[in-house]
Amino acid sequence: MKRSLVILLGALALGAGIFGGAYFVAHRASVLCCARPTDDLDWLRTEFHLSAAELAHIRELHEGYLPQCATICAKIAAKKIELDSLGTIGTNRTAAAQVLLQDIAALRTQCQSQMLQHFVMVSQAMPPAQGQRYLAEMKRLTLGEHEQMEQSMSGNTGHEHPH
Amino acid sequence: MKEKHDSTADPQLSNLLRAARVAPPMPPRFAPSVWHRIEKSETPATSATWLDALATLILRPRFALSTAAALLLAGVFLGTVAGWQTARQEAQLNYLTAVAPHFVH
Repeated sequence: MKRSLVILLGALALGAGIFGGAYFVAHRASVLCCARPTDDLDWLRTEFHLSAAELAHIRELHEGYLPQCATICAKIAAKKIELDSLGTIGTNRTAAAQVLLQDIAALRTQCQSQMLQHFVMVSQAMPPAQGQRYLAEMKRLTLGEHEQMEQSMSGNTGHEHPH
Repeated sequence: MKEKHDSTADPQLSNLLRAARVAPPMPPRFAPSVWHRIEKSETPATSATWLDALATLILRPRFALSTAAALLLAGVFLGTVAGWQTARQEAQLNYLTAVAPHFVH
C-alpha cells in the first residue's frame, strides 16, 4: 500500500515535470521566435494580414503621426510638472491649478482627436473589411475602457433621477 | 501382570461400546462452508486495493512511455499556443504605446 502510494506520487511528480518543462520551453521558444519588439507595426502586419505595399503606406502615416503625438505628449507632461510644482492648495493656487487642469484637458482632447484621425487614415490604407475591424479594435482599446469606467461610475453613484 | 482384554473377543461388549459413542450434530451449512474455504484457498492472491492496481499499471513500460509522450506533446502544444498569445499581446501593446500613450494602461 505504502509502496503503491510512493510510486503514484513519483509518477505524478514526473508527469508534472515533463509537462511543465515542455510547456516552459515551448512558450519561451514561441515568444522569442514571434516577438519583434523593435517594430511597432509588427502587430498590424500580422493581425490585419497587410501586404508589403499596405504596410509601407501605413508606416509613412505612422512616422508622420508620431512627432505630432510626441509634441502634445511633451506639452501635457510640462503642464503636469507645472501642476505638481504648485504644491499645497490655497485659494490662488487652486485657481492656477484649475487653469492648468483645463489646459491639460484641452491638450488631451487635441491628442485624442489627432489619434482618432490617424486611426481613420490607417484604416483607409487597409482593405475595407480589415480597416473596419482595425478602427473598431482601436476604439475599443483606447476609448472603450474610459467609456466603461464612465458608465460604471454613473451607474453606481445613484445620481439618476427617476422620471 | 494384568490380563489384557480383547474387545473383539466379546461381541456384546463391542456393540455396547459402539452404541455408547456420541455423534455431535453438525453446525448449520457445514458442507458449503467447507467448500467455500477450499475454493478460497485455491484462488491466487489478487491486488489488495485500487492503489496497488494503479501502481502496477503505471509501472508497465508501454503505459509509462505513452503517458510521458502524451504529456510532452500536450506541454509543447499548449506552450506554443500560449507563447503566440503572449507575443501577440506584447506586439499589440508596443503599437498602442506608440500611437496612444495616454490611453494605454
